[in-house]
Amino acid sequence: MRKFFVIFLALLVLVAFSATKVEIWSWRSQDADVWKEVEKKLKEKGLNIEIVFRAFIPTEYDSKMGIALQSGTGPDIIYSRRLPGKRTGDLIDAGLLVPLDDKIDFSHFSQNVLRYISKDGRIWGVPFAVQVVGIFYNKEIYDKFGLKEPKIWDELVHNAEVLKKNGITPFFIPGKEAWALAMQHAMCGVSVLGPEWIAKLEKGETDFLDPKWIDLNRRLNELKKYYQEGFLANSVTDQDAAFAFGQAAMVFYGIWGLQQWRSLNPDIKVGYFMVPPVSEDQKPYAYVYMDGALALTSISKNKEAALEVLKFAATPEFGTIFSNITYNIPAVMGAKVPEDPLFKEVVEVAEKHASPHVYWVGSVFVTQKPSLYTDVLAPGMQEMYAGKITPEEFAKKAQDALSKWFKPLRKRLGLEN
Amino acid sequence: MKVRFRKLLPFVIPAFSIYTLLVVYPFIYSFYLSFFSWSGVGAKKFVGLQNFKDMLFGSYSPEFFNAFWHNVYFFIMLSIFEVGLGFIIALMLATRIRGHRVFQTVVYMPNIISMVLVGFIWSMLLNPQWGLINQTLKAIGLGKLARPWLGDASTALNTIIAVNVWRHIGFYVLVMLAAILDIPKELFEAAYMDGASNWQIVRKIIFPLTVPTFQTLLVLLFIWSFNIFDIVYALEGVQAGPYRSTDVLGTLFYRTAFGGLGSSRTDLGLGAAVSVLIFLIVIPVSILYVRMVERRSER
Repeated sequence: MRKFFVIFLALLVLVAFSATKVEIWSWRSQDADVWKEVEKKLKEKGLNIEIVFRAFIPTEYDSKMGIALQSGTGPDIIYSRRLPGKRTGDLIDAGLLVPLDDKIDFSHFSQNVLRYISKDGRIWGVPFAVQVVGIFYNKEIYDKFGLKEPKIWDELVHNAEVLKKNGITPFFIPGKEAWALAMQHAMCGVSVLGPEWIAKLEKGETDFLDPKWIDLNRRLNELKKYYQEGFLANSVTDQDAAFAFGQAAMVFYGIWGLQQWRSLNPDIKVGYFMVPPVSEDQKPYAYVYMDGALALTSISKNKEAALEVLKFAATPEFGTIFSNITYNIPAVMGAKVPEDPLFKEVVEVAEKHASPHVYWVGSVFVTQKPSLYTDVLAPGMQEMYAGKITPEEFAKKAQDALSKWFKPLRKRLGLEN
Repeated sequence: MKVRFRKLLPFVIPAFSIYTLLVVYPFIYSFYLSFFSWSGVGAKKFVGLQNFKDMLFGSYSPEFFNAFWHNVYFFIMLSIFEVGLGFIIALMLATRIRGHRVFQTVVYMPNIISMVLVGFIWSMLLNPQWGLINQTLKAIGLGKLARPWLGDASTALNTIIAVNVWRHIGFYVLVMLAAILDIPKELFEAAYMDGASNWQIVRKIIFPLTVPTFQTLLVLLFIWSFNIFDIVYALEGVQAGPYRSTDVLGTLFYRTAFGGLGSSRTDLGLGAAVSVLIFLIVIPVSILYVRMVERRSER
């Protein structure tokens, strides 16, 4: 009898000291080390939590996660996407996420970031990263030919001309990946069209047949003579390799690429500038959006432990860990970001020059089908670059697609009152 | 007879249950789901035949028929280049020329590599800047022919077909070779003795006697052509670029049901409708195949 009692006690002690498991699912495989650090820091604080991190390919993450949550077998914390957005919106409507505004202190986040994860007055996740996109360039190549960061579009074209004459590929474009082309259009749009114009588009005071939109299409189409030969068949992997090894001078990409370029070539000197507007009197802007947030699932069996993890993720200390490992901009303010001049420059751009109006991810134009992103810009850019449609026809496609459901545009065209 | 059947049951039930669970149930469920609109989480909304109407006549029909005609194109091209060319290669092997065993093995080897790996290797070979194909063309002075094979709408589909032929032709060669070697030697000896030329032998003896094999292979090829997914996925991704020029019903289904990139709407019900339509296209031919095999085994 005594033997059993002792064994029972031992087991009890073991269970008490065994860590509570918190499982996190994500589409970012690069975050694995971040969570290892977080686990260490939580243990230092006396919280015995084991974090199990699982990453999936971005294109399969949503379906896998959705199915798991529905069947009750999913993780405690999920990486969630933006709001407004059907993916996250559906999860909330199905009661699969737990609102966090009454459980976590969000004072370290700006209102601008929190609006990407708020619905019906409640906050549904802890934002973890903010992404900034723009033109990244190889500083050594620019210095070699005495080029300066362009202030207006024509200077950008001039830079490309100089590079081409000297046998350097001015831009490396991953033409096979249509999403990257849509991103290129969007990052140019916030500067070339400007947030005021985009705001008019959101209200239905202008539409896609406006000469300014067609002009942007045309400018991009004319830029393609400065792309690498055969660019329509290249992927982002090719782009990262070519840029990292100095085979191309500029790429239209996001700050998340820096981690990959540095791992391929630690000596690379990367510079950044926002896409230049058309004329001197316009201000350049950067496309900045919340990348994702950490949400608590309602089917979690370890809610207290998961909340501890989320509380930590809402602190500047998490931001420090996150940005130093992934070279991504943390969403939380007050973090100690890497002492890298490029990184600091991009963080400042995110804080001071983010465009308040956008039309790609995180905008109203992608909330229903046909979406301006996947159904118009992505295939349309490929078609225009391949010469199958003109910039005018491209604009017409956008008009036809959005006028099917976007109310302000429908009102403007008299399809609805 | 009654006693015998009951004794058979315990042997049949395990396999039958697995089959029901993994094939019959998902199939019936897909059929059921095709009458709803469902984003994967939350409630399902009953829409009746709306999904089918959208797919065949409504807003999705251009995409659907674009993919459908690509499947048909696949079938026609593969019939010529896998079955047709396979037959010719099998003929050559049947003559037992020197080294035929080595060649047989070499022709079949691509077939053992997984489709995803095939896609991966070939996407590297076809890379426009440093892929082996374009490098070789430039090296032998045919640089003008070098192009972005998978990035140009006019070449992408044919390139995928070429890679597919590379991978599958070995199978057709082996099957045709077996059929040719099945023909009794006496027929050939008699024909040669009567002074028949090689061409006449092929036309009057080999061809007629291998027609059943042709039929079986073409039926299988049809069913397979409408189920293509992995080769397109591996070489072009689920977006089936450039701008849908390599889209097939399989990639259309995946994109509709699970979404591709940053999809604003995934609809498993609509995807299920696509899979039901694929089934309806393939089922008459599958029944034909089963009938053919039954007839043959009776003979």
